[in-house]
Amino acid sequence: MAQNVLNRNVLSYRVMKRRETFAAYGFILPTLVGFLLFVLGPMLASFVLSMYDWNLLTPPVFVGLGNWQQLFADARIGGVYLTTAKLSLMVVTCNMTLGLGLAVLLDRKMPYLLRNFFRISYFFPYVVSGVAVSLIWTFLFNRDLGPLNYYLSQLGLSARTNWLNSSQFSPLAIVIADVWKNVGFYVLVFLGGMQAISRDYYEAAEVDGASGWQQFRKITLPLLSPTILFLLVISVIGALQIFEQPQILTNGGPGDATRTVVLYIYEQGFRFFDMGYAATIALSLFVIILILTIIQFRLSRRWVFYQ
Amino acid sequence: MATLAERRQETQTYTRSRRAFPWKTIFTIVILGFGAVLMIAPFMWIINAAFGDTSEVYVLPPKWIPLNPTLDNFDSVFEQVPYAGFMLNSFKLAVIVTVGQLITCSMAAFAFARLNFPGKNILFLVLISALMIPGQVTLVPLFILMRQLGFYNTHTALILPALINPFGVFLLRQYFLTIPSELEDAARVDGANVFTIYWRIILPLAGPVLTTLAILTFVSMWNSYFLPLIMINKPELQVLTVGLTLLQGQYGAGALGPVAAALAMAIVPVLIIFLLLQKYIIQSIVSTGIKG
Repeated sequence: MAQNVLNRNVLSYRVMKRRETFAAYGFILPTLVGFLLFVLGPMLASFVLSMYDWNLLTPPVFVGLGNWQQLFADARIGGVYLTTAKLSLMVVTCNMTLGLGLAVLLDRKMPYLLRNFFRISYFFPYVVSGVAVSLIWTFLFNRDLGPLNYYLSQLGLSARTNWLNSSQFSPLAIVIADVWKNVGFYVLVFLGGMQAISRDYYEAAEVDGASGWQQFRKITLPLLSPTILFLLVISVIGALQIFEQPQILTNGGPGDATRTVVLYIYEQGFRFFDMGYAATIALSLFVIILILTIIQFRLSRRWVFYQ
Repeated sequence: MATLAERRQETQTYTRSRRAFPWKTIFTIVILGFGAVLMIAPFMWIINAAFGDTSEVYVLPPKWIPLNPTLDNFDSVFEQVPYAGFMLNSFKLAVIVTVGQLITCSMAAFAFARLNFPGKNILFLVLISALMIPGQVTLVPLFILMRQLGFYNTHTALILPALINPFGVFLLRQYFLTIPSELEDAARVDGANVFTIYWRIILPLAGPVLTTLAILTFVSMWNSYFLPLIMINKPELQVLTVGLTLLQGQYGAGALGPVAAALAMAIVPVLIIFLLLQKYIIQSIVSTGIKG
């Protein structure tokens, strides 16, 4: 019968489906196992860990919400979060505005090689490690012998700025080093976003007599708004977690003037070995980042323009 | 009223006669040039410090080109710390993790892009949500886990967690989705099984995105600092990033020369790779902007 002939060499739909499912799980197995072991597992363990006092030498002691009480009673934590917020605000603002400004400049008509040269020079610090960048700037920021103070004095400004050990200037030093390293990334992403805007809009505006600034405000900015949101979100998340620059440039000092939250977590967890408390602080940071991200997305409905 | 075409022609004539002197372009290039100098100058200063002898370093006004280049600083580096070991360790880890990630991420991305199975969408969402978790939350438990497993102070502790990369899976999946399914259908008709499709069709076509992921992963591993910092404290197993801070710790705030030499040796490989591959790297970042 036609039915038998058809079914002889062809597998049934169910068998094929099962084989495909089996193969699919096989393909995602490494990633899945890794995810459970190294992401989800630790994440859940973090919650559990925050309810214990454990210094790795003696057995863990259950303290329930004790670590959280300690967090809210901690005299230093408020300052640490404030410092992190200040630094993040400065870093994000500088990166976004400088990045956008430089991208606008780079978008102009110029010889291809020249634009390429600029893109390479602005982006190179981004691929260098944060450690190397911080070490370089440690020398540049040297109060008496560093080139930065020298050139500043040539310009008539004070030559004795203590960049690395003053509560007034050390935060600035960290911002400078961080922006120097990262602005290239923002420039490139903004450039990409701007290249996606059709030239027709600008031509039409030109015909209607719009000035460059008007074109920027009414065409570039709205059409760039998804890119701006994307960069804003990841830059806030990144800024709240800076570690390498403050650790290497100032080690949180003087006192706690540049102690970021992650620096504090490192100190509590890997210098004082208060594992439970470190996990608790990390969780609080996670919650704050989550809330800020949600707020950003909610607010974005008002100003982001999708086409 | 003049038509759009007439008005456009009028504007063109007007700007053509005005294009006498490109003030704006010159102004733009000057500012960009100044910025580029600020970006490059620190590197030049460090390279100069690396090759200069102690009298030329930390001199004011700052020197940019060493007049008596010497290799003494480089010698000091190798005397103070096992620097070659640091570089080798970083290289070994970066290569292993890059190859490993290419395999695991492409396999998972293939499954998510081209196969159908129950729970596919949920699993993908869960995987992507992992990108939102700040590293520090998983760090402390990861440290404890590695200790309990006996992997503390081994390279395994650094390799294993890095073998999975949700971002890599996402990136590859988006690319695989753009590969036309006709190729796959034709292969299936010819009797190819799932693995053959993965190995013979999808992978060869995914060259560009695999290269991008490889570069991003290699650079990320080469520059990683926090994880090696907490997982390793044996100098012979240490990586370059932490090793640089160890070298600086040996000298305190004073000695610029040897640390500069170490930095120069750390940065030059990155510079070479970057210059060779910058087309790929820059293009992938720029296209993030186009899509985002």
